[in-house]
Amino acid sequence: MASDVVVETRNLSKVYRDFWGRQKVRALKALDLEIRRGEIFGLLGPNGSGKTTTIKLLLGLLFPTSGQALIFGRDATDVSKNERLGYLPEESYLYRFLNAEETLDFYGRLFDMSAADRKRRTTELIDLVGLNWAKRRQLKEYSKGMARRIGLAQALINDPELILLDEPTSGLDPIGTREMKDLILRLKGQGKTVLMSSHLLADVQDVCDRIAILHQGELKELGRVDSLLKVRDETEIRARGLSESAQSEIRAVIERHQGTVLAMDNPTTTLEDLFLAIVRDSEARPGRRAKPEHDPEPNAAPNR
Amino acid sequence: MNERQRFTRKIVYACVIAALLLPLSWLSQPETTESKGGMLAQMRAANQLSQAQLGEIDPASETIKLATLGMRGVAANVLWTKANNYKKTEDWVGYSAALEQIAKLQPNVVSVWIFLGWNLTHNVSVEFDDFHDRYYWVIRGINYRQEGTKYNRDSPRLLSDIGWTIAQKLGRADEKVQFRRLFREDDDFNGSRPLAQRDNWLVGREWLMKAEQVAARGVAVRGERPVLFHSHPVMCLVNYAEDLEEEGTFGEVAKNAWRKAAASWAELSNRDLPTLSNVFVRLGDKEIYDERSKKAQEELDRLATADLKEKFKAEKLASLTTAERDAYLAPADRRTTQQNELLYAVNDKMTIGHIDLAERVPGENRAAALKAAEEATFADMMSNLINIERDVVYYHYWMLRCQIEPEDSTLEARKLIFEADRAFTAAQLVKASELYDQGMKKWREVLDAYPALLKDASTTDPLVDSINHYRSVLHQLDEKFPKPFVLQDVLEADATFHGLPLPEGEQGSEAPPSGDAAKASP
Amino acid sequence: MVHETDAILFADWIWPALLFFLEAAALLGLLALIGGFLVAAFRYGPMAGGDTAYRMIRTGLVDFVSISPRRIAALSWLAVQESLRRRVLVGFGVFLLILLFAGWFLDSRSNDPAALYLSFVLTATTWLVLLMALFLSALSLPADIKNHTIYTIVTKPVRPGEIVLGRIIGFAVIGSILLAIMGVFSYVFVSRVLSHTHEVEVASLKKAPNDPTGAQTGRTSSVLNHRHQVNLDEKGNGSTDIVQGHYHQVTTERDGDKVRYVLSPPRDLLTARVPLYASGLRFKDRTGKGSDRGINVGNEWKYRSFIEGGSLAAATFTFDDITPERFPEELPIEMTIRVFRSYKGDIEKGILGSLVLKNPRTGRASQLITFRAKDFYIDSLPISRKLTDPAGNSIDLFADLVVDGQLDIELQCLDDSQYFGVAKPDIYLRARDASFTMNFVKSYLSIWVQMLLVTGFGVMFSTFLSGAVAMMATLATLVMGFFKQFVFDVAQGSIQGGGPIESFIRIFKQQNVTTQLEPGLTTDVVKAGDQVFMWFMSHVTTLLPDFRHFDDVDYVAHGFDIPPDTILIQLFTALAYVAAVFAIGYFFLRTREVAR
Repeated sequence: MASDVVVETRNLSKVYRDFWGRQKVRALKALDLEIRRGEIFGLLGPNGSGKTTTIKLLLGLLFPTSGQALIFGRDATDVSKNERLGYLPEESYLYRFLNAEETLDFYGRLFDMSAADRKRRTTELIDLVGLNWAKRRQLKEYSKGMARRIGLAQALINDPELILLDEPTSGLDPIGTREMKDLILRLKGQGKTVLMSSHLLADVQDVCDRIAILHQGELKELGRVDSLLKVRDETEIRARGLSESAQSEIRAVIERHQGTVLAMDNPTTTLEDLFLAIVRDSEARPGRRAKPEHDPEPNAAPNR
Repeated sequence: MNERQRFTRKIVYACVIAALLLPLSWLSQPETTESKGGMLAQMRAANQLSQAQLGEIDPASETIKLATLGMRGVAANVLWTKANNYKKTEDWVGYSAALEQIAKLQPNVVSVWIFLGWNLTHNVSVEFDDFHDRYYWVIRGINYRQEGTKYNRDSPRLLSDIGWTIAQKLGRADEKVQFRRLFREDDDFNGSRPLAQRDNWLVGREWLMKAEQVAARGVAVRGERPVLFHSHPVMCLVNYAEDLEEEGTFGEVAKNAWRKAAASWAELSNRDLPTLSNVFVRLGDKEIYDERSKKAQEELDRLATADLKEKFKAEKLASLTTAERDAYLAPADRRTTQQNELLYAVNDKMTIGHIDLAERVPGENRAAALKAAEEATFADMMSNLINIERDVVYYHYWMLRCQIEPEDSTLEARKLIFEADRAFTAAQLVKASELYDQGMKKWREVLDAYPALLKDASTTDPLVDSINHYRSVLHQLDEKFPKPFVLQDVLEADATFHGLPLPEGEQGSEAPPSGDAAKASP
Repeated sequence: MVHETDAILFADWIWPALLFFLEAAALLGLLALIGGFLVAAFRYGPMAGGDTAYRMIRTGLVDFVSISPRRIAALSWLAVQESLRRRVLVGFGVFLLILLFAGWFLDSRSNDPAALYLSFVLTATTWLVLLMALFLSALSLPADIKNHTIYTIVTKPVRPGEIVLGRIIGFAVIGSILLAIMGVFSYVFVSRVLSHTHEVEVASLKKAPNDPTGAQTGRTSSVLNHRHQVNLDEKGNGSTDIVQGHYHQVTTERDGDKVRYVLSPPRDLLTARVPLYASGLRFKDRTGKGSDRGINVGNEWKYRSFIEGGSLAAATFTFDDITPERFPEELPIEMTIRVFRSYKGDIEKGILGSLVLKNPRTGRASQLITFRAKDFYIDSLPISRKLTDPAGNSIDLFADLVVDGQLDIELQCLDDSQYFGVAKPDIYLRARDASFTMNFVKSYLSIWVQMLLVTGFGVMFSTFLSGAVAMMATLATLVMGFFKQFVFDVAQGSIQGGGPIESFIRIFKQQNVTTQLEPGLTTDVVKAGDQVFMWFMSHVTTLLPDFRHFDDVDYVAHGFDIPPDTILIQLFTALAYVAAVFAIGYFFLRTREVAR
């Protein structure tokens, strides 16, 4: 269903030029993406891979060199799309001389919300991000984690349908990271679409439905997280309370069935493997869609 | 570039900066109690240019200078342009405000104070019609320059300029009567100065003498001939005495004033004055040099016989061209224009110098003759130099006046004529006639004693005015102008000065010439 | 006071001005559109370029329509907060410092301290506020872009126009608050500095000469560098003469033997005269022949022209709107007449002049009303409604002389060969006095207008330039705005010394402005270069506001009411400029990638 597509990019490219118009960096090359309503979409890639450029293009903060970015079917440079959109920037670019309440009230007014709505929404969101104890303090006194939370709160002020989160967990402690992820999942539960970028693989793996892996401005991989990560010729065994003898017994059983024990300790983040494989492959053969050794499922290819 | 290169470069930069700081320190280290400071500080001290030596350190001025952030020149320029524009559009409030600001920006440029102060006293004041306003602006201009002395306490030029302005602007302007009156009443300018000393000439003299004191400490007087510089305070006393009489004060007061003026002139005569040829002279010494010259020439004449001179002269004549000789020998009334033109050069050629003559003296007298010739030449030169300086300040004239004026007969003559003029203005004809009669007789005595006065228009002009008044009085009284007239020579002298036909006694029936109209004041 | 050009009425001004504004807007809009299209076409091809241009207009209109007051209010509020954070109050501190130390820099002996102090505080306020507006407006948006705080703004439904307008309004609000505070302080400062009274110096009191009634004259003590002459009648009441633009009333209090003289506070010091100026001024030369101008007595400044005394020469001022309702008792004539003497004359007395009131239609005239001219001072000469004609018959001003509200007043100089100089605003009727306080407020309004302009330009430049550059550009606008006439004069070559390159060469070579440059190729190239540059500059300058037109300091300083028309014109001009810079700012911000 076409109306289900919330974000769409067609052949989206961005070239940064210098003052004289000379090409400096191709930040993004012919990106085609579709994000549907209700999913959590992750943009994954190392620093400088084009994640943030993509988000900025989607927000209309940058203009595409060629191609198109559509949000809710409208051009990304159209201001009216912002009515239904929330954005948490990479760092919390907020006015440090305002306090939490003033900040939220200010952004509320930018949505032309009535005073009563703003008050209600402000209280709700401050509660939501757990900053009730610090709502009267100027943001310049906030720690990085607190600033992220208030940043998230401002992104949600208008109860948006689509939320763009640029590195939502960066700078957060483990508990903060967990809370952020829970919140993202809760938003999904409310039927919202979330687009997040991150270079922290664990985050993406934990919350995203689908991911796109970017490297050097090119789309390298796209698909459902579970299928991307499923390795068909490997079996992972996780158990609790096994004694040393029980473990060696299991090893014996595997060997008996001509299997090879690869490892038997805490499970590794396999997305990391995938990611590193893609990066290695991309550097070896630039400009090509990644072909890691283990083929992902055919149905993980983008639906076109 | 790697870490090491970067580090090396930083070290090099640091070294270069340090190396550049050395000459900077050598140049501009400030002066302290222990050290003399850097080159600039020493130069400042040597040339007496440091702020503390020049005058007060004014926080307002320093603030403005700082606030312009090194753009002082530009700011001063803008202000000058603005001031000119204010002047053009006759906005005097803005003009004087701009002047104050300029002074704050350039407090140590003496010519700024002088120039702008002059503008106020001489150019702005005359724009106003009411003499009260004019007086106000004259005083503003004087106050302005007085403010300048705070910052430049050792500038003889500025001090002298203030004194000169107080004396001359107030005492010589068209409105001098009003100005001098207002000046006497001006408590704000004079403060606690007693009334008797509230005379612009005396107050001006105070400042002029301050300037002399500063100059005496060795500060160079620039832009003015020393003899003039030192004559100003002397002339203040003369002018003071003159104005006293002009305003009706005679007797002991006037006498004393003139005596003081005479004493001051005598003092000036004995002052060592530098001349333009870097020789020091005294104005009073001319007669001494003349005497020395005379003696030396007599000695030379004794040594060089008359026929030596004649021979020399004949030689010189022989060396002339025919045209020159003709011009020289032709009788004065027969010379053509060309010959007259030639004559100057010829006379020069024909002059026999003392030394030239002495060199022709033969034998053992030669050395003595040369000595005498040198003495005569030197004495002539000195006499000549003194004469030049004397002419600059009208030495002869003022010495004569200072000699004549304190005398009782002169005072009496002046008093009588003054009272006669007053009676004439008040239309007391009989009284005026009597007073004129007495006064003119008194003047006769004075003129007989000092006939040189007849050569001076500033003596004869007012006398002629009074004679005209007298004539008018007699006419109204139906009396005849006396013949021969006691001051006939004055009328003749006046006619010569002004190029008028000589008066021929009295034409009784004619209407009396209106005194003011007949006279064109020089 | 001096008006070198005639005052313009708002009603006469607004329609042509509006028309001009619309024409200029249309022309500039069209040029911008063509330029924009060309740039877009060059980049993306003609089709895409056309599309871009079309979308630009469409979204522009949509954005304009969907401007939200609440969003603008929010952004303005943000700008105010930001200004406060930037320690805008430091500027106020500087202002207080300036006031505290004003005495250092001001001429304490000025003969018009009111004019001096008023123009000082007003000028100081103007420059401080303009500088502050410059800093705030030019640095704000670039700082937001640099700190990326703009990201959270433009990803909300905020129109670029709202960002521009919000900033202009916000800074205008903070400027207004600042101006209001400065205004109060200035007012208190000026009135306190100027307020004074004197004592009568009893020792100076003398019986007035030739006056049997027992009137006395004397003088007051010197306060604030001036003193007055006192004239008292036999009861001991009277007034002082006018010094430094004011006088005092004197009353005598008797307590038994003790006599105490009490002087009122200064009168006429802080006033706001509402003058009724003449609508026309004609001259007659010495033979009585009419002409537009009188004689020039050799002044470089041709503002006033002169009439010769003791001849038929005269200056006739024509007044309109003289009604019995406005002037029921008398005509309160005030005049400033310049005197030029061609000979000394009687120094103690002023030059004698006369006014004659004339019926402009029938020529019927009043008797000569004589006066002695007070050079450079405002002289008031109230003329009663009941007059006599030259034959001695009594006539009434309105019945016999005024026709349809029109009246001629003829000025003549009576002393032979002395001259009077006048310009049209030199003789006026002091219709009434407006409140000085209101006048002061009006002068602050004109400063406010200037601040609005600077803010507008600052914000506009900051939409496409970096902070420092935007500031320089705004400063350049301000400076060019103040020297607009100068730029035109240089461009037309009516100022000696040539254009910038030539001037530079002259400075470098230390050449006087009047000396000719050596003819040759270099000179030709330099002059041509200057001409091209100045052609460009004069066209740029044409577009900029003439800041001197917003300067009302002279009115207040000289004690004249600022005409409401002037204020209205200033206000509308400023609004027109703000509208223009708003539009320009909008399009620059709209087309800008804020994340670059």
